[in-house]
Amino acid sequence: MRSGKLNLARDHGLRARWGRLREDFVRWVTRRHQTDGRRARVTRDRVYILPTRQGYMLLLILLVMLLGSINYSNNMAFLLTFLIVGIGHNAMWYTHRNLLGLKVTVLPVKPAFAGAPPVLALRLEEPDGRPREALRLAAGGRESPPAFLEPGASVDVAIALEARPRGIYRLPRQRLSTRYPLGLLEAWTWLTLDTEVVVYPVPIPADAMQAAATDGDGEETTVPAARDALPDEIRDYRPGDSPNRIAWKAVARSGRLFVRDSAGGEAAPTWLDWDAVPGADPEYRLSVLCHLVLEANAAGQPFGLRLPGQRLGPDAGPDHLGRCLRALALFGLPGRNPA
Amino acid sequence: MALLTRTPAHPPELLGLWLLLAAVPVAALPHAWEQPPWVFAVLLAAWLWRVMIHAANTQLPPRWVMVLLVLAGGGLTFAEFGTVFGQQAGTALLLVMVALKLLEIRSQRDIVVSLFLAYFVVVTTYFFNQSILIAAYSLLSAWLITAALIQVHSGRVLPLARLARSSGLMMVHALPIMLILFLVFPRIPGPIWGSPHEDPVGQTGLSDRLEFGDIAQLLENEATALRVRFEGPVPPSSQQYWRALVMSDFDGRGWRVDRGRPEVPADGDGPGDIAYTATLEPTRAHYLPVLDFPVGIPDQGRLLDNLQVLTSRRVDSRLQYSGRARLDAPPAWPLSAEERTRALALPAAAAPRARVQAGLWRAAHGDDDTAIVQEALRLFAGEPFRYTLRPPLLRGDRTDAFLFESRAGYCEHYASTFAVLMRAAGIPARVITGYQGGQWMDAGNYLRLRQADAHAWTEVWLEDRGWVRVDPTAAIAPERIETGLSGWFGEDIDAPAFLRRSGLPWTVQWRLRISDWHDVATFRWESLVLAFDPERQRELFARFGLDATDWRSVLIALAVSLGGLGVLAGLIALLRRPRDRRDPAQRALDRLSRRLRRHGLAREPHETAAAYATRVRDARPELAGPLADFAQAYTHLRYADLDAQEREQFQRQLWRALGEAKG
Repeated sequence: MRSGKLNLARDHGLRARWGRLREDFVRWVTRRHQTDGRRARVTRDRVYILPTRQGYMLLLILLVMLLGSINYSNNMAFLLTFLIVGIGHNAMWYTHRNLLGLKVTVLPVKPAFAGAPPVLALRLEEPDGRPREALRLAAGGRESPPAFLEPGASVDVAIALEARPRGIYRLPRQRLSTRYPLGLLEAWTWLTLDTEVVVYPVPIPADAMQAAATDGDGEETTVPAARDALPDEIRDYRPGDSPNRIAWKAVARSGRLFVRDSAGGEAAPTWLDWDAVPGADPEYRLSVLCHLVLEANAAGQPFGLRLPGQRLGPDAGPDHLGRCLRALALFGLPGRNPA
Repeated sequence: MALLTRTPAHPPELLGLWLLLAAVPVAALPHAWEQPPWVFAVLLAAWLWRVMIHAANTQLPPRWVMVLLVLAGGGLTFAEFGTVFGQQAGTALLLVMVALKLLEIRSQRDIVVSLFLAYFVVVTTYFFNQSILIAAYSLLSAWLITAALIQVHSGRVLPLARLARSSGLMMVHALPIMLILFLVFPRIPGPIWGSPHEDPVGQTGLSDRLEFGDIAQLLENEATALRVRFEGPVPPSSQQYWRALVMSDFDGRGWRVDRGRPEVPADGDGPGDIAYTATLEPTRAHYLPVLDFPVGIPDQGRLLDNLQVLTSRRVDSRLQYSGRARLDAPPAWPLSAEERTRALALPAAAAPRARVQAGLWRAAHGDDDTAIVQEALRLFAGEPFRYTLRPPLLRGDRTDAFLFESRAGYCEHYASTFAVLMRAAGIPARVITGYQGGQWMDAGNYLRLRQADAHAWTEVWLEDRGWVRVDPTAAIAPERIETGLSGWFGEDIDAPAFLRRSGLPWTVQWRLRISDWHDVATFRWESLVLAFDPERQRELFARFGLDATDWRSVLIALAVSLGGLGVLAGLIALLRRPRDRRDPAQRALDRLSRRLRRHGLAREPHETAAAYATRVRDARPELAGPLADFAQAYTHLRYADLDAQEREQFQRQLWRALGEAKG
């Protein structure tokens, strides 16, 4: 039992070292590649191809066939052996072509909450008018099921990445590979398509917060009274106004952009305040705020978020929500982390 | 579009299992004729078991069952052959293991391994049969196996038509490489280890012993014995005696082959010599039929002093050899006393009445051996001797019974009886068996000799001329010799169908026609493919000034041919690539812009076709019409949802407008 553990530990160490070596090697091989941005095309100079284990197995079988042919001077055995050699050789070409020319676009990664896997999605496009089979995308140690493309078509391939703590991450390097048609060889390309993955804090429900609340500093966090039924004031659109507040009827009538300005007539918006959340653990506070932000957004009311050194809103709508969640995700972090 | 890719409906790890289950029996089928029945029973049982597992979605047999089955399979093979190595036993073992492998396919890897083994099964077919039919059949097997491999690795269920096409294309694309490697890969003569397949099946065709009825029996056998291609003129049929075996010992009932003594081959380089290349079907014997009289000896054989050619190794597979013959001048060696005694020997009790007859001839003609020969031939030529397919059974001394009672016989009756008469008269004589006649195959330009064309004739020693061929059959049935068997039996309704010239139902005619095509195909296959050996390879290399035994030459040949192939493939790829990837409408717009650049009216990159057309129109009002047409067609072609007819119409409008908008 003990030795087993020990072995495991050593194995783990070796594997980690191997992983680092591998990573260095890949970095060295791809050093001439430029970072791809959001779109890349699989060009000839970035397709790599090597035999697979099955390829070596067939090679061995062919060798035995060849020896048999030589030994028995059997011309038909020679013919078939060489036919399979030809097929195997051409498989190199086929496999390479199956990957070559594809256009790859990274789709925006939907933000995920910590603990849930962010989903990386790439769009593959087939520009050369030939079908593509069994394309596999791998990133961050995960692999997608095989994808295929009809001539001229496009397909989205997704991988659930590893779940991570909150923060903002760069995408791991992607590997697009194929073994089609015979599995004797694998052609692959390394892509460094770039987009960011934002991981929000895990939302922790408000009742949990209330249960945890010890000081009575809840004045500002009280849920505001129902909105007054006062008619909205209409004013001209100013850059920065939320599109949610555009008064579409007025716009339709006049052709000018108007927004409803309800700030004056409404009750004070909810402020979600860092200082109002009890507890010493900043991660816990962020989680609670995250839940509150989501709840406030679901209620459709304008709200503001106050973090040490930051003030967001008050405002409403998905953009505001995104800004708030992002602020929570990044709070106290230096910048992007490599995923 | 769904964010997640469509997942295959079948478990991906077993994609291609059905194709594997189809490919294995197809690949193994040719072995059904070569392997003991239980091997195929095992294969069939395992196959059915596996199909049932798949259909009923039940469990695979547990590991310990598999271990037992594998041990049992190996044990059975060993019990059958006494070994598990060698061609026969090794192939049996391979088939059994492929069968059992079907029962433990759990993953994609297992399927792939099974498919690789199936390729191997196809190759082992050739140890037993290298016919063109097997070649065509094994292409089918390889095609199926390759299709299964493609299916396994495509990650989804592909339509069968697409699989068939992909697999077929892969094979077609592999042909050039196959051809180059076949021609250039260095060939080494002979086996490295072990000996080629030795089949216990008995000899076919001519045998070492000749009795009455032996050759008549072969008449039913339409299998090809020998195919011959002549390098120069083809000698007349009546001159074509293909001698195989020389029989010098008579025991009263039949003749036995004379092994002869090795002799230095006569130097034959005469102007009238006939050069030929013959392909002998496996005889499982040592003789090589050669055209009378042999002056140039095949490399594979040695010439004996009685003009037989024997090989040192039994002919167990098709053998091709070349020889030269001189039709009229038998090489004359003096007859040693020992040989003379042997060629005159008759058992004391044999053929008493024939001896009397011979004695009468001798008394009448004195020393004139030729006259005695003529007497005997005259006897046969006159009534009531008959040349027949179905000679009656003979009782008592066969020679006498034939000569004085039945008087109906086939070539061996006449040859044997004639030789006995000659010996009784004191003239050294022997019987020769071989082939005579045959069928000229126009389509392949070769002579086809069937087993049915087997023939027996005699040679007598005449003091001034040496051994002289005398064919008594020619005296009684000259058509047999001049135009072959069908010349004599063509109208005989008892004759086998392939000899008859009329009165055959169309089904039989077609069968015979197909049989002829098959023979021609076999002959071509043989001379093109199977005959390629180290010798041919040397000749091929020599034609390019290379030496096939020098590894540098081989490397040069490989590099040049494969490199050439690569360049060719590259050129084809280049030619087939679309030269211009732009949209045709975009191409037209670019052309218009290039044309108007001279007038300072090139299109700005940000300009749409419509905006560009408007700007040009302002500068060149005379082009307003075509430009409007152009912009309209362009916009429709690029942005509208058009059916094929509309598309064509706008395309025409576009190009017409482009033509009219000349600056």
